[in-house]
Amino acid sequence: MINFVCLVLHNKRSAQFKKYLFIYLFIYFLFSPSVNYKVTGRDSLVFLVDASKEMFIKGEDGEPSNFDITMQCVRSVYTSKIISSHRDLVALVFYGTEKSKNPRNSFKHVYVYHDLDEPGAKRVQDVEALRGERGARLAADTMGSGEVSLGDALWCCSNLYSDIKLRLSHKRLMIFTCMDQPHGGDSTKDRQARTKAGDLKETGVVIDLMHLMKPGGFDVSLFFCDIVSPPEDESELGLQVEPCGKLDDLQKRVQAKQQKKRAMARVNLCLGEGMNVAVGVYANAVTARKPSAIRLYRETNEPVHSKTRTFHTQTGSLLLPSETRKAQVYGNRQIVMEKDEVDTIKKFYDPEIFLIGFKPMEKLKLHHHIRPSVLLYPEEQQVTGSSCVFAALLKKCTEKKVFAVCRYTPRRNYPPRFVALVPQREEVDESNVQVTPPGFNAIFLPFADDIRKLDTPQFPTASDVQVDKMKEIITKMRFKYRSDAFENPVIQQHYRNLEALALDMLAPESIEDFIMPKVEQIDRRLGPLVDEFKELVYPASYNPDSKPAAKRKTGQSRIHLTNSDPSRFIPWATIALVFIKETGIRVCNKDADLQ
Amino acid sequence: ITESGNCSLVLCMDVGFSMSNSPPGEEPPFDQAKKVIQKFVQRQVFSESKDEMALVLFGTDATKNPLDQDGQYQHITVRRQLMAPDFELLEEIENHVRPESQQTDWLDALVVSMDLLQKGKYDRLNIVLLTDLSTQVSSDNLDVIIGNLGKLGITLQFLALKWYGDGDRRGSSRPGVGKGLSREQKQGLEMVRDIMLSLDEDEGLDQVYTFSEAIEQLFMFKHIERRPMAWPCQLTIGSSLSIRIVGYKAVTDEKLKKMWITVDAQTSKRDDVKRETVYCLDDDNETEVQKDDTIQGFRYGSDIVPFSKVDQEQMKYKHDGKCFAVLGFTKHDSIHRHLFMGSQTIKMFAPKDDEHAGVALSALIQALDKLNMVAIVRYAYDRRCNPQVGAAFPCIKQTYECLVYVQLPFMEDLRQFSFPSLENKKFTPSESQLAAVDSLIDSMMLVEEDENGQKEDMYKVHEIPNPAFQRLFQCLHHRAVNPGTPLPTMEQWLKDALERPSAISERCQAPLEEMKRKFPLKAVEKKKELKTGAQIFEPDAKKSKVDEEEEEFNLAKISEGNVTSVGSVDPARDFRSLINQKSLPFGEVCQQLTHRIEQLLSNRSTHYYMKCITCIQTFREQSVKLGNADLYNSYLQSLKKSIPNSGLQVFWDLLVQGMISLFIGGSRFSPT
Repeated sequence: MINFVCLVLHNKRSAQFKKYLFIYLFIYFLFSPSVNYKVTGRDSLVFLVDASKEMFIKGEDGEPSNFDITMQCVRSVYTSKIISSHRDLVALVFYGTEKSKNPRNSFKHVYVYHDLDEPGAKRVQDVEALRGERGARLAADTMGSGEVSLGDALWCCSNLYSDIKLRLSHKRLMIFTCMDQPHGGDSTKDRQARTKAGDLKETGVVIDLMHLMKPGGFDVSLFFCDIVSPPEDESELGLQVEPCGKLDDLQKRVQAKQQKKRAMARVNLCLGEGMNVAVGVYANAVTARKPSAIRLYRETNEPVHSKTRTFHTQTGSLLLPSETRKAQVYGNRQIVMEKDEVDTIKKFYDPEIFLIGFKPMEKLKLHHHIRPSVLLYPEEQQVTGSSCVFAALLKKCTEKKVFAVCRYTPRRNYPPRFVALVPQREEVDESNVQVTPPGFNAIFLPFADDIRKLDTPQFPTASDVQVDKMKEIITKMRFKYRSDAFENPVIQQHYRNLEALALDMLAPESIEDFIMPKVEQIDRRLGPLVDEFKELVYPASYNPDSKPAAKRKTGQSRIHLTNSDPSRFIPWATIALVFIKETGIRVCNKDADLQ
Repeated sequence: ITESGNCSLVLCMDVGFSMSNSPPGEEPPFDQAKKVIQKFVQRQVFSESKDEMALVLFGTDATKNPLDQDGQYQHITVRRQLMAPDFELLEEIENHVRPESQQTDWLDALVVSMDLLQKGKYDRLNIVLLTDLSTQVSSDNLDVIIGNLGKLGITLQFLALKWYGDGDRRGSSRPGVGKGLSREQKQGLEMVRDIMLSLDEDEGLDQVYTFSEAIEQLFMFKHIERRPMAWPCQLTIGSSLSIRIVGYKAVTDEKLKKMWITVDAQTSKRDDVKRETVYCLDDDNETEVQKDDTIQGFRYGSDIVPFSKVDQEQMKYKHDGKCFAVLGFTKHDSIHRHLFMGSQTIKMFAPKDDEHAGVALSALIQALDKLNMVAIVRYAYDRRCNPQVGAAFPCIKQTYECLVYVQLPFMEDLRQFSFPSLENKKFTPSESQLAAVDSLIDSMMLVEEDENGQKEDMYKVHEIPNPAFQRLFQCLHHRAVNPGTPLPTMEQWLKDALERPSAISERCQAPLEEMKRKFPLKAVEKKKELKTGAQIFEPDAKKSKVDEEEEEFNLAKISEGNVTSVGSVDPARDFRSLINQKSLPFGEVCQQLTHRIEQLLSNRSTHYYMKCITCIQTFREQSVKLGNADLYNSYLQSLKKSIPNSGLQVFWDLLVQGMISLFIGGSRFSPT
């Protein structure tokens, strides 16, 4: 991973460079591949930023300085952490400063700007203050630039880690510098730094280098190759514990609420008796919602917690769960069950994905949608050999254009649903970055209860002239849809509001509503087409915008049951007709059988 | 009429002599008819239908009906007047509908039923007649009866036995009508045909069913039927092109509207149980504060930003309400099926009475279909609902055209993972492995061409009723009718419906065996995972069920003899025994228990911790039972105090996780 990004950084010009720096960072803190969901504890991240004079040199054409870029980056990470994982700890440490500020003030030229702690509004403001011209002046006033000793800086950081009493699951340190020889060839200092870096790595800290642009290029091999953690060995990796993130467009994610990616379930895909393939189940997409509110005590603004108690109305004594039962009322009768009975009613099977059979792809109906799909990917660690079966199934299903129908029980005491496993082959873009992961998408299929009978009105179909005019309109309004092109304006606005309140801003930053039609632009593009179309389909007196005239008494409507082929189940519509006959209903498949 | 869906209905059942006759080995018509009405009423009860229903029996020994006069309308009994079906009706059917020995003219029974329907409160009137048509019928007043049926708008349905041969109409295209029927039955059949034809020219005998086909269909509980709600709106393209549309939910993740309520275990009364939520400060005393004294806030990193409801309302994203506005058009294949969001699809039609809108919409649908494109739209249900982005697909069927709307994800919703490639040498399947998969797929195809070249789908998921609802209703029905007995097992038809079709199971046997040979699979031994509190507690949580506890206690008593002190093997059980025996004072027993707990804790091992937690749980439960919480609370308080110094934080955390609440009664202390 590191090697790859270095390559990118070297090859790109400075305008693009900034973008990639962001991207690189986001990969690391949002999608760090070594984050294992099983390990409890908090993630931590230390920004170790070079504050020597070179960092403040502005680029040609007023390009922001490396220091400025770094501060923008840190600020983005702070606000993003606040939204995505506010429990994580972040620190900001400068080295190569004139002044010193660290816990025991035992290190010179190291300035701990932010201790390892949860990020908050104050910290965002602090970093904000270090941006731009004024930021550079503030940095010069408070810290100044001085001698560089990376060894001391690393030592100081290791103390930050050891001062933390919390359990840390993941420790990462990122060095931001544009100096490939920070000590100007002083071999003692170089050795010191290497030793200290070695110590840190031994305690589980991963050290990354964010080397910034420098005239003549940044040569990692001169010094930093010995400081940073070695990249994870691809060949040994085989299967990663967690999937890692996508490079593309991660910058946009700053404001996005990210949940830790993890398997929603690990179950067996059972092809038949004794043939179980282990798979992990991952969400393709989850509806992001505003975070829930916290209740505060009005007087002090301190959070309160709620407790729900169940007690007996008559005696006032608290009721244990065993002292209550569950009930429902049907047909004027209360039906009572024990709580565990209520659970067992829901139990059908142990968690599994059970293969029923295969169907040709065209049998998957577009409108049969009841909930967002999930992605299946093999779990070699649970059952060895799973990946091979999985790969073979994937290949064959794709070739034969079939999907698998399976019965899916995600958890114990969970009634089954049926899913269509649709093969998805891996896709990579021109720079060999994965755009679509390999796996089976599990599309949830509706039961009879989920499908509603509709009374479908019938109209004359449009003429070719009318259709052709509409085709012109459509062609004028073509665009390339991308699933990540639309931000949710409701959530974006909410976070901007919070940010404004937290940072004492006068007004929240305005948002752009991407799902608002750009009416003027559309009108301009369509020009006279709209009127031409309207002339073709609407009479002069017709105004679709006016309130509809008093409802005409609707005549007898015919419900057409499209489904008349015999099968294991008689369509519900038919059954409903056994007794209750609605006026005008015709059951198509009756005629043939009964005279 | 279709708008108000409710109807008044009379079930009119023949219980006469001939109904209990049947050839050996066959189920008598009476039993079949009874099952039909039982299943039907059950379904009505659980679908919470507002339809009213009456029950008329004919062929009864007794006579009880309003038309009983001068020896007319004899042997007809009105068992139940028109009212909503409930469990009483089900019990009535269970206990009072039995074979009797008279024979009654079914036309008479029809007249009684018509008379009852006059008092019905709904416009739609139905009579369902269940008979084997074996009785002598006098057709004198047939014209009058038909006239009245028509005048009152009554729909008549016949359920007859042995309509033709074996009653299996599927498979045989032209069943021999009237085969093997008696003279009376043939005559009855003619008369039924007359009535049906004169009521509705189109349909005639469409509304005649055999018992067995009715019963086959009624085995399932009625699925939820919701009246589709119309959503009138305008599809807009730019500022000046709009088309009036009406949306209906077509497919949606249907949930049961009824929730479980909590009742007191003893009285089964809901009113005896009250739930209350209180708010407490995070101080040592967990000081309670009034709900009115709280405001809402949101977390912003380590800060909490107070953000009142009023401010939030003021500052939140606002929009203009109801909308279906086209943002643009895009290629159909740029929309990925696996990124459909939400829990529904909506079908958009033009309003029924607006032909112009119909044509305009048709132009759009046809054009999209021809270009293989879809519309990307902004959709907002109304002002209070958040707007969505979604796709409108063209849908062209034989009888209608519409747009199908599905929600698409926002950028924030996406989880873009990448996974290691499977094109990895380690996992690449060999040719013979691929061949094995190939033949497995071939053997398991659910869609096949039959002899006529018709594609036959043998497993239509969308025709299976939701098993969760079916099972729930089955259990509810069982419990209502047979209180105090254990829940029944799942019905066989439901089990079968959820399994692989037997034809497939047989066919895939050999290919599956081949797969097993070709692909070695080995489950990896699970590493010892860090147990969370919940996992450790799961088995114990179950034990706390009162019944099991009592049982356990009794067993203990038998096997262990008399308990005299709290031992170390199972201190919780000993403690419970001693308290039940009442041979020692409560205080002393408690002391023995706490002594044991201290001893066990000194071992500093998870296994002993678990034992201690069981002890504390039992301590708490017995204290609550005896209404004496002082000893328990003071012990727990001292235990809590000692935790930081004794290095037992792990134990305490487990304890806190495992118990619903630590302390008893009003003095609540924060466990954390």
